[in-house]
Amino acid sequence: MNQLIPELKQLIIDSLDLEDVKPDDIDAAAPLFGSGGLGLDSIDALELGVAVQKRYQVKLDANSADTRQHFQSVESLAKFISSQRPA
Amino acid sequence: MGMRILHGEGLASVSGARDAVSRAAFRRRVQSLRAALDRHPARRWALVCEDGAWFGAGLLALAGGGRDIVLPQAPQAGALQDTEVDAVLTDRPEAFAGIPTLAMTDPGEDVEAPLPMPNDATRVEFYTSGSSGKPKCVPKAYAQLRLEVEGLERQWGAGLGTARVAGTVPHHHLYGLLFRVLWPLSAGRVFHSGMCLQPAELRAAVAGEACVIVSSPAFLSRVTAADLPPVSQVGALFSSGAPLPDPTARSLGEEWGRAAIEVYGSTETGGIGWRAWDGAEGRAWWNPIAGVEAEIRADESGPRLWTKSGCTYKHDWMPSGDLVRFGVDGRFALQGRADDVLKFEDKRVSLSEMQGYLLSHPWVAEARLLLLDGKRQQIGAAVVLKPEGRAVLERDGKRALQERLRESLSTRYEALLLPRKWRFPDALPGNAMGKTEHARLLALFEAQP
Repeated sequence: MNQLIPELKQLIIDSLDLEDVKPDDIDAAAPLFGSGGLGLDSIDALELGVAVQKRYQVKLDANSADTRQHFQSVESLAKFISSQRPA
Repeated sequence: MGMRILHGEGLASVSGARDAVSRAAFRRRVQSLRAALDRHPARRWALVCEDGAWFGAGLLALAGGGRDIVLPQAPQAGALQDTEVDAVLTDRPEAFAGIPTLAMTDPGEDVEAPLPMPNDATRVEFYTSGSSGKPKCVPKAYAQLRLEVEGLERQWGAGLGTARVAGTVPHHHLYGLLFRVLWPLSAGRVFHSGMCLQPAELRAAVAGEACVIVSSPAFLSRVTAADLPPVSQVGALFSSGAPLPDPTARSLGEEWGRAAIEVYGSTETGGIGWRAWDGAEGRAWWNPIAGVEAEIRADESGPRLWTKSGCTYKHDWMPSGDLVRFGVDGRFALQGRADDVLKFEDKRVSLSEMQGYLLSHPWVAEARLLLLDGKRQQIGAAVVLKPEGRAVLERDGKRALQERLRESLSTRYEALLLPRKWRFPDALPGNAMGKTEHARLLALFEAQP
């Protein structure tokens, strides 16, 4: 899971074409959406969901409240992905 | 047809797998809101809700009490400026500090108040981007919304039965309001009260049930057929806000197995036309929606489409923002916009309007906004800073500065409309050396910041 965090930061920057953001600028515990974090929007949420599913072959199919929790921060996303992958 | 939600038993709406609102509970919400509105001195109300079921209850309570309803362009406090509302009816009162609000809360089991019937004459104001540099007010009467959803039921309702309605578009714009909230309330279909951001949320929202999906190109063009609920479950898939790209329309029709029903219209005119993928040939042509009269009136921008229907204000002719041509069979083809309003991720945005707000920021001396093409269309901002702004740039860096400028716009605009690329040149490029200003502005963004 620890390698996942820098990998996810880079995936976010590349897949969302974020300018002026370096991996170190992203606080793994900070919210990805809304104010106080990266400030990503609803299209970013959709594109990030698509990119994560493609890269890690995970299936996002819990109910919607859980989906939103997985995408809360880089940390929660890493936790979700590692829980879905075979050990 | 009336408003079926105001009668009978069963569910009104659902939210995720856990929360459901029964028709009886929905009616109690409308009754208690109506009673609270009666006790309140405000006449002119902004209605801003995160939850679609509260939005629907608020709409019916306000229309039942004949109060003016104002639907701001974005669900943010800043978007209320210039709307001259007395108060805000909302399920998120914390977002409107300093403004009189009436908070929506569940009333419990016993509500002693009459159940209001929506008053057709209620004024409903939409705000959208126009070419004036300020949000444009589009007034309607509640009757126009009612007639529009009755028209939707006549045109497409027959095969839908009791399908559950779920969508990926916001309910505060006309399309989502009609298709995701008012049509289900009117026809008595259960609707999912949240806006689904991801395919997984949409699949969970319809939870194996027969369903209707209300979506748009921003969503559909980014997902694959396998991401959507199985086609066997879906009675109809609607898309509006902008035309679907041809590959997306083809993939839905041929791989997923059912063509999306694309609806063309605008806030001013309501729905005007529709089409569905039937091969690439003839794809440009839209079928007029029954009951809508349409004609061309040429003006300085070209052959502009005007329409008149039960859904246009005072049942009178309304100009659309689009240029069109008609075929001999009465179908029509779109020929571009008649004004400087852009369609950006299915939403209307006026760059001159946003530029005006940016210019009012104390750090900004000059500003130009432009649309940048790429993997995803983005809005770029080229800003010449005043000395105060330059000091912030030197002290805190580029990213911190642009975050502050984005924040100042975010009180009025939804996050996805905000500029994502920023340049801070010493001066804006003029029309020198044979290159247009636009080309020179674009060149600023081609270079790395």
